[in-house]
Amino acid sequence: MNRHATPVLETRRLSVTYGRRCALQPTDLAVWPGEAVAIVGRNGSGKSSLLRALCGIEPAARGEVVLHAESCHHTARTVEVAYVPQRSEARWDLPFSVGQVVAAGRTRNRWWRRGSRGDRDAVDTALAAVDLDDLGDRAVSELSGGQAQRVLLARALVQQPDVLLMDEPLAGLDLETVDTVLALIQRLTVGDLAVCCVLHEVDIARGSFSRVVALSGGAVVADGPAASVLDADGIESIFLRRVAA
Amino acid sequence: MNWSGWLTEPFAYDFMVRAAVATIAVCIAAPACGVWALSRRLVYLTDAMSHGMLAGVAGAAIIGGSLLVGGLIAALAMALFISLLVVRARVPEDGAIGVVGQGLFALGVIGVSLQSEPRALAHVLFGNPLTVSRFDVIVDVTLVVIVIGTLAAMKPALLATTFDAVHARTVGMRVGLIDSALLVVLSMTVVAGLVTVGVLMAVTLIVAPAVTARMLGRSLNAMFAIAVASGLMAGVAGLLLSYHAGLPTGPTVALLAVAQVGVAALWAHPARAVQRSLISDRASAAAH
Repeated sequence: MNRHATPVLETRRLSVTYGRRCALQPTDLAVWPGEAVAIVGRNGSGKSSLLRALCGIEPAARGEVVLHAESCHHTARTVEVAYVPQRSEARWDLPFSVGQVVAAGRTRNRWWRRGSRGDRDAVDTALAAVDLDDLGDRAVSELSGGQAQRVLLARALVQQPDVLLMDEPLAGLDLETVDTVLALIQRLTVGDLAVCCVLHEVDIARGSFSRVVALSGGAVVADGPAASVLDADGIESIFLRRVAA
Repeated sequence: MNWSGWLTEPFAYDFMVRAAVATIAVCIAAPACGVWALSRRLVYLTDAMSHGMLAGVAGAAIIGGSLLVGGLIAALAMALFISLLVVRARVPEDGAIGVVGQGLFALGVIGVSLQSEPRALAHVLFGNPLTVSRFDVIVDVTLVVIVIGTLAAMKPALLATTFDAVHARTVGMRVGLIDSALLVVLSMTVVAGLVTVGVLMAVTLIVAPAVTARMLGRSLNAMFAIAVASGLMAGVAGLLLSYHAGLPTGPTVALLAVAQVGVAALWAHPARAVQRSLISDRASAAAH
């Protein structure tokens, strides 16, 4: 039983379509404060569609995303839900500084507003949280893959979110850097921050996340403690058997 | 004639002073816009827009209206046509830009040829400092102040959407609106360059200094500083050279801006190659 009365983020019959193709079938899901949820499944199973609908990038075809049980958002486009995209989606070739990129998380829709003292403090705090406090002035084009991933994490943290949605944060990282990013995620969920990660690494999902949501054919086929969802039978049914859409 | 005479003599004429002020204004705004156009991969769109704007400029000239308003209307119409082709007809974006830009350019050439002054087309395309009036100077400086002010105000938003437009949307930024604002600013810059360097050469002043800055600058602010310095050098030197050598001003300014790209490339890359070879020589000497 979760110690919190209400989930921080819910989906109610949420579905996503691309033209006639249904990428995510009507889905009910609840994420509680402090949870570390791994979202797993094969390519095309609907993981990224779910994540993108949760943060409002993809519009819901039906259903809704609910935040804090009260505010209903068909598109949860709010700073309380922070999105960490795949590294390849950003422009690492440009000479923007780490501090400028992290501050982009505070820009919001008031684009004409100069950064306040509070914004600068929030950037410093977020950089310290991901152990990059010395790199605020460095150009993002000079970062390693692990440092770049932590910059994206800091940009999300600077929003001071309640939920962190991460799309394949471990892709392309070496083992040492994977450990660093996982340690950061575990440190973040000590409080009430909920983290949902789309992952391809089954072993990591089983070992480092308390809960696993498995998708296949655009539907949730398993949801529960990592050890039980990702046992031998579970892995076979999620990754090897086809599910009728 | 000594050097100081070579530098100062042209400015004994009022028309050269007006041309210098207008050129300097454009040489500040165009490179600043160019840093964002290059970073957001909008160079082809900017180039096509400069061609397409000719239709609006020609239309405005025929009916006696404002060339600025005509150019802006053509730029907005171009953006609308491109969106329609991309979204409705699913034409690839670069194809849509090429078709619409060239179509409007052809329309503009016909429009300009209908005017009584046959040299008007060359003036619009390549500029002519002899034709810069006091009113043109006022319009140019005003446009440049608006352009620089808008770019400064939009800097955080432009940075956020350039680095990662998808994330910017998730924090509530209206990416389409920011894109449109930048396109309007770019078209205002091209229009500002119309009377001095011409619409085609204005694009060179947008792109070339930004490329120079990209090769030499290691931060966004450094890129802006290098781009504007490069633009100003090309503008002032181009104006003087064209005056003394009897060359057309727009192409001379553009060529000097392009030459700086070559110098920057030689500066940036061979310098690194020599540095690497020195390091490797030292390493092999230490090994022995």
